[in-house]
Amino acid sequence: MTLNPLNIILFGVVLLLAVGFYGLLITRNLIKIVLVLQILVKAVVLALVLAGKASGNLGLGQSIAATVIVADTIVAVVALALAVQVRRRAGTLDIARISTLQG
Amino acid sequence: MNPTLFTWMIALPLGVSPLVYLAGRLGSHKMELTNIRSWLVRGLALLTLSATWLLFILSWDKFIGSNENLQFNLESIWLRADGVSFLLAAMVLGLGTFVVLFSGPYIAGEVGEEKYYAMLLAIVGIMIGLGCARDLFNLWMWFEAMAVSSYLLVAFYREHPASLEAGMKYLVQSATGSVLVLLGIALVLGNTGTLDMDKIRLAISAASSTPLGLVLAGALFVIGFGVKVAFVPLHTWLPDAHSQAPSGISAMLSGVVIEAGLVAMLRALSTLGGFSVSWGMLLLAFGALNMFYGNLMALRQTQIKRMLAYSSLSHIGYILIGLGIALVNGSPAGAQGAAFHLFNHTIMKGLAFLAVGALMFALLDQNGIHRPLEVNDLSGAARKYPLAALALSIALLALGGLPPLAGFMSKWQIFVAGFQGSNPWLMGLVIFAALNSVLSLAYYAPVVNMLYRRNVGAVVEGGASIPLTMNIPLVILALAVVVIGLLPSLMSWLTEPAAQAFLVMFGK
Repeated sequence: MTLNPLNIILFGVVLLLAVGFYGLLITRNLIKIVLVLQILVKAVVLALVLAGKASGNLGLGQSIAATVIVADTIVAVVALALAVQVRRRAGTLDIARISTLQG
Repeated sequence: MNPTLFTWMIALPLGVSPLVYLAGRLGSHKMELTNIRSWLVRGLALLTLSATWLLFILSWDKFIGSNENLQFNLESIWLRADGVSFLLAAMVLGLGTFVVLFSGPYIAGEVGEEKYYAMLLAIVGIMIGLGCARDLFNLWMWFEAMAVSSYLLVAFYREHPASLEAGMKYLVQSATGSVLVLLGIALVLGNTGTLDMDKIRLAISAASSTPLGLVLAGALFVIGFGVKVAFVPLHTWLPDAHSQAPSGISAMLSGVVIEAGLVAMLRALSTLGGFSVSWGMLLLAFGALNMFYGNLMALRQTQIKRMLAYSSLSHIGYILIGLGIALVNGSPAGAQGAAFHLFNHTIMKGLAFLAVGALMFALLDQNGIHRPLEVNDLSGAARKYPLAALALSIALLALGGLPPLAGFMSKWQIFVAGFQGSNPWLMGLVIFAALNSVLSLAYYAPVVNMLYRRNVGAVVEGGASIPLTMNIPLVILALAVVVIGLLPSLMSWLTEPAAQAFLVMFGK
């Protein structure tokens, strides 16, 4: 593995994914979970641009990345709106304390 | 006639959806207008769905007449309607229409009634679109749009912490799944330089060996879409979401949304071709796991909606086994059985959830109680609610696979397909599936027994009546379950093209 720009970006993708999945495992706060999901999506956006560049179709990769950013913002907005409602109704954002549905 | 007519099936519900929302917000917030607004919203939604039905019939006519897939393109975005698209469209439109009819009294007066119908119309259009996607990224966009609308519908009762919790669980798991799907798409793009499904197939069949990246992409598709289809270790959101959503939405989620996820997964996997037998084995393995686990978990449920949610897991298992048999044997029989069971599951589970919803509405909601309906609450319900009880019994017995009903016919078709290849492993699996089907009666039968008990329970005693608009969908769906069970060939016009399209997708 030489130190060319594509490999550095690939390293970035893997690092962001690792941070994201680790975060998903340990996070207990709803707002932080939304942030962690955002980190995961950012890793994917980077991966899409990288894939476009690596396959010689940079335009396609970039346009997809831009669309993903838009689509994901909607998910984040919905998630935050739900989190606000959870805080209002349950009085806490800790997922361990709001979890009642089991089995 | 214009061959791109089918795109209006997608555009019409999607376009009318914001209008429905606006219609529900018309005028001032005075009480006397509430009823008029409510009728306006429901009427508009029903009218749109009827118009979409007309478009469906016209494009189906075109599809069968020309005997080739319908295509539409806008710049570089392609949509294509094949047999699978039409099967999905028929399921979504059929159940969507009944749910809109059913939801009238159920949702009337709730906060955000107009949003409910707007999202319902949007999700119908989106799912028809998902069936027609020809491009991997396009497929992901429809998939994500479907997910976002279903989060909002699951968390519809926003005053209740339990439904917020279910919505949040659903959102986090589903969003993680869609990240994995996107990662798979990036791998496909990096390896082949295109996202058009046909071009990917060409690029892969031209290469001498399959790159590791594409195998990894396939695995990511299985996990990512698997969250939505509720493959067993990834299913934990499903019982919560299905039991906490309003009953009409439970019917949509269980009857069509997970099936749409399955269609999306198969479309994505099929582009990676080359090793379709291995994908078939994988589907069989997940199918067996889903069936068994779903049945075991359903056995220990006391809440009826949760039990139905777990039974969805096991029915996804039967469908996967049908598809897996088709891929391993290369015969259309398994795929046709799976397509038939897909359709039957939509009407049976739709009927079951709507009937439970009607009982829940009469027994609990009308008395101002908001809690899940327990099986024990239904004691003697058939005396007071003969129609709803009969509809629920038909749905449950059909789900359990009792002979003259729809569920038996499609399961039988899958089992017969499994024996055709004379592969001992497949035969063993089919016997396992049949035993599972018997096991599932162990939790369906007690509910039927409870409904027809002689002594009427206190909850049923205090229940209100079920409005007529709720009974109409129950009667039609129950008749459909019985008639399709007696004359299964009635549905082959829809399932045969779907099975063929499925095998074409996988290059058989």
